[in-house]
Amino acid sequence: MELQDTLNKIFCEVFDDDDIRITPEMTANDVDGWDSLSHVNLVTTIEAKFNIRFTQKDLLKQRSVGDLIADIERKLAA
Amino acid sequence: MAFNSLSYFFFLPVVYLVFYFTADRWRWLVLLVASYGFYAALKAPYLPAVLLLVTAISYTCGLRMAAQHDETMRKRWLWGGSFASVIVLALFKYFPFFESQTNSLFGLNSTLSHTLISIGVSYYTFQAISYLADIYLEIEEPETHFGYYALYMAFFPKLLQGPIERTSDLIPQLKKPYQFDYDAMRSGMLLFTWGLFKKVVVADRLALYADQVFNNVHIFTGLSLIIGTYAYALQIYFDFSAYTDMARGTGRMFGVNLTENFNSPYLATSIADFWRRWHISFSRWILDYIFKPLQLGWRNWGQRGTALALIITFLVSGIWHGATWGFVIWGLLHGIYLASSTYYRPYQKKLHKWLGVEKSPWLKWWQVFVTFNLVSFAWIFFRAGSLGDAFYIVTKLHGLDYQNLVTLLLFKPVQNLIILGVLIIIPVVVSHFKNRMNFFEQPVWVRWSVYYALGSAILILSQSSGNFIYFRF
Repeated sequence: MELQDTLNKIFCEVFDDDDIRITPEMTANDVDGWDSLSHVNLVTTIEAKFNIRFTQKDLLKQRSVGDLIADIERKLAA
Repeated sequence: MAFNSLSYFFFLPVVYLVFYFTADRWRWLVLLVASYGFYAALKAPYLPAVLLLVTAISYTCGLRMAAQHDETMRKRWLWGGSFASVIVLALFKYFPFFESQTNSLFGLNSTLSHTLISIGVSYYTFQAISYLADIYLEIEEPETHFGYYALYMAFFPKLLQGPIERTSDLIPQLKKPYQFDYDAMRSGMLLFTWGLFKKVVVADRLALYADQVFNNVHIFTGLSLIIGTYAYALQIYFDFSAYTDMARGTGRMFGVNLTENFNSPYLATSIADFWRRWHISFSRWILDYIFKPLQLGWRNWGQRGTALALIITFLVSGIWHGATWGFVIWGLLHGIYLASSTYYRPYQKKLHKWLGVEKSPWLKWWQVFVTFNLVSFAWIFFRAGSLGDAFYIVTKLHGLDYQNLVTLLLFKPVQNLIILGVLIIIPVVVSHFKNRMNFFEQPVWVRWSVYYALGSAILILSQSSGNFIYFRF
């Protein structure tokens, strides 16, 4: 849960909206302003905050917030 | 075989009847044989062979890749299969370019490329690449049945000019048992007829004026050039969306829903919006398989990375259309429009607020107008016969030469213009009502009036029809 909370804060910061409550099923269609341009900001912010680096394949495979959380967990465990 | 050719009107019912009376487990074979026959009817015997080659390569690479757990090996199969597909595409598409370069370099006189046609190759090679990429990303399982995979590549309604389909959208539909559905058949036939109307009545009539200008640019100036450009902008939309309607209409008769390729693109309020509405199956493809990998790869460059990824993506999109400087500039222009908008966007709202127009109902229409003109400006390079012609047009767009304008508008009897005016309004009215009511729920007299009107318009008003513009790509 701690990870999801931190990630939630990043979402609020990147999309400039304090009301965002992320869920694993959430996709880009559910968040206002989550397009390919803001997605890059989201990714680089996540990488900086968690001090991880996604591979290109990880990023292209991610379809939902759940995929993103799973990838962050995997990177942190490694 | 073109959808607007007489032979297609014999081909389609025969294929349907055979399909209908065949057992479900062999229906893929009926459609596959029909699709290869359809392709062979282009009288270029090498084309079905090329299709089979690209199909076999991507099918094999897909299976091999999926059987591997080693990431390096998977990548090799991905790159090997994609590279082979691109080579086939490049050989066909850019051969005329290479030939002319070799001719001028070595003083040769080869004319082989004049007889070479590459219809369809760019569409199915893109499908092959997306198939391999999706297996690599583990988004899709490979298709083990060669017949269904071959049909996914060759399905005749979308073979020559798209839509570019993804395996996950098309293959499950091809495998689904077929059941005659009166509504699907009726709406498919109507969509097909609607497409035919848009092509032979509207697009081909617009072509008269667009061709008159673009084939003789130097006798026109100012407003005539602008009108010629607008005519082409409308022509290419009606032409291409007509083809898509006919493809989707045919697909529906066989119980297959093909991807929608157009969504009122000239009502777009920005260039990014335009690309979400124009040639959608293609723009999604370049977004997913070119733009995203580049953009994410260059994510540490920030906005510059995104801007550069946009420019390169649209440059590739230009080159996909053909190896001419006109297409390159067309692609570059769209890349530059989009790259600039990433810088402009943060200030856009502030600017609207500062000007006090953020709540104005006119703002949207102003944006539509600007977007349409930016798109039309780029079409000049897409359509012009040569780079010289294109530069002539863009430097002579100003001024109103009355005599010149009359020459253009009256080079055909004036009735043509009146008919054209009415014809262009019809699709606008139709798209307005389409989202608000179900046509098939209307009273019988309304439906049959529409059928008769469409049929008579096609019979009476059709122009001596040219080929579809996007056949060339």
